[in-house]
Formats: sequence, C-alpha cells, structure tokens
Amino acid sequence: MRFMGTSAIQADQLRKTYTTTRGLIRRERKDHIALRGVDLDIQRGELFGLLGPNGAGKTTIVKILTTLLLPTSGVARILGLDVVNQAWAIRKRIGFVFGGERGLYWRLSGLDNLRYFADLYRIPPDVSRRRIGELLETLDLKGREHDKVEGYSRGMKQRLHLARGLLNQPEVLFLDEPTIGLDPVGGRELRGLVRRLSNEGTTVFLTTHYMLEADEICDRIAVIKKGEIVAQGTPSSIKTGAEDQGVVEFEIEGLPAQRIEALRQLPAVATVIVEERELAQVITIHCSRPGELAASLGSLLDGMQVRNVSVREPTLEDAYVLLVSN
Amino acid sequence: MNTLRIFFRTCWFQYRAMFNWATPIGYLSYKFLQPIGQILFFTELGIFATGRSNALYFALGNALQLTAINGIFGVVMSVGNERQFGTLPILLGSPANRLVTFLGRAFVHVIDGIAGVAVGLALALVMFQIDLSHANLGLLAICVCIISLSTAGLGLMFGSLSLIMRDVFVIANGVYYLLLVFCGINIPVSRLPEWAQLISTGLPLTRGVQATREVVSGAGLAQVSGLLAGELAIGLVYALIGYSMFRWLEHQARRGGLQEAY
Amino acid sequence: MTAYVRAAARAFEMSMKLRAVNPFTNFGWLVFPLIFVVLGLALLGGGGKSAYAILGGGLLGYWGMAYVEGGNEIQNERWSGTLEQIMGCPTPLVVIVVGKLCSSLVFGALSFFPAIAVGYFAFHQSVQNIDPVPFAVSFLVLTFAFFCMAVTLAPLYAMWRWAFSVTNGFEIGVYVLGGFMFPISQLPAWLQVVASVFAPTWAVRALYAATGQPFGRQYALWWAVSIALSCGYLVIGWFLYRLVDVRARATGQLALA
Repeated sequence: MRFMGTSAIQADQLRKTYTTTRGLIRRERKDHIALRGVDLDIQRGELFGLLGPNGAGKTTIVKILTTLLLPTSGVARILGLDVVNQAWAIRKRIGFVFGGERGLYWRLSGLDNLRYFADLYRIPPDVSRRRIGELLETLDLKGREHDKVEGYSRGMKQRLHLARGLLNQPEVLFLDEPTIGLDPVGGRELRGLVRRLSNEGTTVFLTTHYMLEADEICDRIAVIKKGEIVAQGTPSSIKTGAEDQGVVEFEIEGLPAQRIEALRQLPAVATVIVEERELAQVITIHCSRPGELAASLGSLLDGMQVRNVSVREPTLEDAYVLLVSN
Repeated sequence: MNTLRIFFRTCWFQYRAMFNWATPIGYLSYKFLQPIGQILFFTELGIFATGRSNALYFALGNALQLTAINGIFGVVMSVGNERQFGTLPILLGSPANRLVTFLGRAFVHVIDGIAGVAVGLALALVMFQIDLSHANLGLLAICVCIISLSTAGLGLMFGSLSLIMRDVFVIANGVYYLLLVFCGINIPVSRLPEWAQLISTGLPLTRGVQATREVVSGAGLAQVSGLLAGELAIGLVYALIGYSMFRWLEHQARRGGLQEAY
Repeated sequence: MTAYVRAAARAFEMSMKLRAVNPFTNFGWLVFPLIFVVLGLALLGGGGKSAYAILGGGLLGYWGMAYVEGGNEIQNERWSGTLEQIMGCPTPLVVIVVGKLCSSLVFGALSFFPAIAVGYFAFHQSVQNIDPVPFAVSFLVLTFAFFCMAVTLAPLYAMWRWAFSVTNGFEIGVYVLGGFMFPISQLPAWLQVVASVFAPTWAVRALYAATGQPFGRQYALWWAVSIALSCGYLVIGWFLYRLVDVRARATGQLALA
C-alpha cells in the first residue's frame, strides 16, 4: 500500500450540535447533540467501517469529513488539510457517495450526469472522456449510458453514484450506506468493487449497519452510539471484546413480562432480546458464562416449554448489539 | 363522533404538513406578499386602463379571487402530496370513511381561504380605500364563505387529477390565472366574447364575485340569493366530480390497473 | 479559468435539457405571457397603450423565468438531493448558477414570441414606432439587470428554504415596481422610491421610451442608472456567496427537502 504511515483522515474531539427552532409565536430553541467528541485516525489505504444504529451520528461525521457540514468544535483533517478552512483543496481530492436513489438528475441520461460532474470537478475534457468510458465499463453501465436515469434499477443508480464519486480519482472515498436497498447480489458486487479500490490504494471510509458487510471487507471498524465512538479496532478484535460473552437462544411460548424482567436482572446477563414469532417467542440472551446460564434455564423458566436451546460464540453482530444496547 | 374526529385530525395534519417546510417568514409571505402584489398589480393596471374611479372594481375582484390560492393550489397540494410521499396506498388501505378524508383535505383550505380574502379586503381597504359603507357586512361574510367553498370544489377536482397526472400543478397554475380573465375579476363578464361567457358560467367565482359586488353596493340577501345558490351548486358539482374520480381511481388501483398512481 | 467556463457551459447545457422537458418552464414562457397579454389587451384596448400589453406580457414571462425559475433551480437541486453534491464540488456555486441562469434567460426571452403573436393574430395589435437602436440597447441593459438580480438572489435560496417562498410570493409585486405593464409614475410616491432602487425599472422605462411612450429620451442616464444598480447587486451577491459557503455548512440545510 502506498503512503502507509500518513493519516488520511484524522478527527480530534469532533462535536456537532444542531439547533432547531420551532413554534410560530414563541420560538423555542432546541439543541440536538449529534456528535460528542469523536476521535478518528485512519491511515492511507485503509478500508475503514463506521457502524452504528440509525441516528447515531454516522451521516453527520461523513458530512463533516466531506466539508459539507461544519463541526461545532474539534478539528478534522483530510490528507492533512483542515475541513473548515481548506475545504476547496479537500474537495478536489475526495469523492463521496451517499446511499439511496437521490442525488442524480433523473430526467437526464447517465452519461449526462457523469459529464456534468466531471466538469464540476474541473477534469480536462480528454481525461474525463477516457475516464467516463472506463468507469462505465468497470461499473457495468456500458450500453445503458444514453438512457434516462429514471429508468435505471436501484443497483444501476447506485453504481452510477459510485462512478460519479470516482470521476476525480479520489484519494479518499466516503461511502455513506452504499448498499442500502440493494439486493444481495448487487450488494456483494459493490463490496467486491470497494475492496478492489482499497487494494489499489484508495482510502475508503464506509458507514453501514450491515454487520456482514463490515466483517467481510473492512480493515478496521469503529462503532458509534449516540454520537460517541464506543469501540474501535479490527473486526476480530471487536469480536474479542465480546469474547467472554456468549449467546443463548431458545424458543418459548407466552413468557410473561415479569419473567423477562427477571431474566434481565440476572448478574451475568447483558441483554435480553425478545422476538415475537407466530406461535412462540425467540429469546436471545447475551451473557457471560453462557453454558452455566443454559444449564440453569430449566429452573428459571419453571413449568414452561422451552425448545431449541442453543449456545454459540459471539459474532460481530453480537458484539455490536452488546456495544450499542444499554 | 369517530368520523368527526378523523375529519378534524385529517384537517389539522394537512395544515401542519403543508407548512412544515415554511418558517413563519415563509408563511407570512404567502399570506401577505402575494395578496399585496396581486391586488396592487391588477388595480394599478385597471387604473392605467380605465381611470382611478374604477379602482374599487379591480381591488374588490382580486381580493376575492385570492381564495383560489387556497382553493386550488392548497387543495391540489394536499391531495397530490399523497402521491408524492407515497402515502396513498396507506390511505386507500385504511377503513376510514372516504368522503370524510377526501373533504378533510379541502376543509382546512376553505378556512384558510376565507382568512386570505379577509386579509385581501383589508389590504384593498388600506391601499385603495374601497368603500364598504353600503355593504351588509354579515352578507358580505356569507359571500366570502361561499366563494371559498366553491373554489375548493374546483380544487378537489384537480386534486383527484393530480393523483393520475404527474404535472397537474402546471394546469392548476393556468387555471388560477384564467380565473382572473373569465370570472369577472378584471374584465366584466358581459364584455367577454360569447364563447368566453359560456366558460364563465361554468366556473366558480363568477356568480359569487358578482353577488359580492352587488352586496358592496347595497344589495340585500333577496337580490343575491339566486347568484349565491348558483355559486354553491357549481362548487358542489366540481367536488362531486372530484370525489367520483377519487373513488374510481381507488377501484382501478385495487384491480391492479393503475399502479403508476402510486 | 477555462475549467470554470467549461463547468458553466455544461451547467447551461444540462439546464437547457432539463428545462426543455419541464412543463413548468413551458408554461412560464408560453402560456403565462399569453394570459397576461390577453388580459392587458382586453383592458388597455387599442390606442397608444397596447405596447404595454404586448411587451408587458413578454416582460412578465422573461422576468418570471429569470427570477422564479432561477430560484426553482436551486429548490429542485434540493429536492433531487443534488444540492449537496454540487456544493461539495471544487467548483464555486456562482459558476453553476451563471450557467443555469443563462439558460433561464434564453427560455425567458422566448416569451416575447407568444406575446407578439397573440397580439397580432387575436387582437390585430402590434408594437409600433420602435426606435431600433435604443430599443436593442435597452433590452440588453434589462437582460443584464435581470441577470444580476437573479445571480444575487440564488445564494439566498441555497441558504434558506423560505427565501424562495418570499420571492415567489412577491413575483407579481415586482411587475408593479418594474413598471412592466403600466408606468410607475401613477404609483404612490413612496412606491416610486422603492421602484427606483430596482435596476430593471430604469431599463424598462428606456425600453418603453424607445416605443414612443412620452417619457423623454434620457436613454444614457437610464442605462447608466440601471447598470450601476445591477453592479451594486453583484457586490452584495459577492458577500452572499461567501456567506452561503459558511452558513449552509453550519446549519446543514443543504440536505433538507
């Protein structure tokens, strides 16, 4: 990998507070704290994943790092440049793709969209012509580039987004939930592509709430919860964080609320998740010493029919659930 | 009782949803700037054309026509937004009374439209000193209410259209300005060519505006009741057409024939 | 520099393509002026005032495209989710706005065709006694005034969602202040004062003078005032564009629909 050892993305105590006002006559100001002091240090060439539930602050971080939003306090640097004062220099060297179908001109062709942004990125015409051709090829849009975007499938729109984000051959690429709404095949193709870009030296900053995605491709992961980073490391080290933990799952019929509460109160239990199925409830318990818990379940759930008890190793998803739940 | 609650809740949500994009400044501009601009422009144009003595004619006509901002744009937006935000299937899937939810979309704009005309009349009073001393104010208020109702009826028809047509707002824009030509707002209906007079008789506002003009110059209920009844009837006809279109659309959608409506 | 010219040219091309299929645009230059010309001619009739109806209808369409559609463009970018993307590009917003605006001026200028056609065919009226050179210069000065106003207003739309509803609400008010369909001399004195800081007003006066309206022939003065005011707007605009880059980023309003 090129340039190892230099930071591509650095954030130091990044905070963001949104102030909203509401009410017609009595204007009420309300502060919403989106980020509460986020630190990041991402090396060049790394593929970094940011995981977190909806509303945790993932998009706010991405917008600050892509110069679209100013932090309330704290410092962020992209390739050593300050996101507040050196936005113009940063914009030339980064690319960003936000998930979903918005952000394209639907009534124009895919090619028109790309040409437009190529000019906005001030890419010389001969270079942009060649690069657009290559991107259409790589992203499997060849042959459809003259069609209007409104006729594209979701996957095609997402690939077009990615093509747009790659027009200026960015040194750092930001992807905010890029696989949202894609079918499994589309999602896998996109992940493969992102991995390839990363192998070619592009630094990738990816947000997602698909665990498999993060586990499969990311070099390093951070988990964000309510505006704070609660864990950071390689996928396996995050799993190790939940290592003395385990998961007990079983099915049961009509478990009353006070028994669930009693389960929650047990000292070894971290969380209890109840999923209602048609005829039964599926109970997932994150706990330490799962073997012991499984053995003692019989007495705890006295007189009730317990089926399909299983004890398993934590997955990244389990580690994540543990981190973001209370 | 439940129906009534659904009705008022629909109204209130409609209103909130409509203005959630607007800050107070946005709302005030919509409620005051546009009325000021419209009354000023057409009255001054009328003065330029026919002399200052006719200012009342133009000021009054345009103040009354302001109700079409709500009756047409407001109603079309309320119905059309269902489509834009994809909430139409939810509405169609709910057991709520269709007529109630449908009319609920218009009701709030009728109220807002009456308020709009009140603002317009106040502005006309201030800017051009229109003379309301001969008018029976209670009767004037009735005229304004009826005009707002009948215009919203036309709006409901376009609202239903907006569920199947993508760009109905453009048509609504055209209709708004055509009302200025055909309904005796700026040009007396009697001075229009015959074919145009025929269109006038089929539009809301025409009779209501005429009735209001007579009330302002001192007419009583007996003299204008025919005009007002006609105005109300026209509005009702449009609302019914709109409602039938709405039900027809629902029927088609359930048969799977109009997926693009969603 | 050439990169910016290219970006503006591309924005122009995109905007032309988008407008050509946009029913609002076609309503704005084709139907809207027609309605006003018809109203104007019905009221003003023949005689010396028909120029006001015909040219006036064209002016309304021209102005409407530059002013409302210019604002619409930013609003549409917000709706389609592309406003963030163009703000995140290494090309200043003003470059993109200039490109788009040129396309609205092209469509706006088309307004004069339906206006003249309906006057001629339906009412047998036309604008006569045109003094070609002052008329043409006045038209260019007017175009410059429209351009400067719209360029200056655009950053407001990017910053505040409500800005568009304000200008949109006052669209007809501007017809009054600009003297598009009747001379401003008949307005109350205080409104005439407001109208006099409005650059298009002076260019419109010159335009009508060039069709034989009895305003005198102080073309040079009118042009100079209009151009000076327009340049004044640009100075204000320069500050607004600097502000927009900071303010929109601080509040995060770019993404909101």
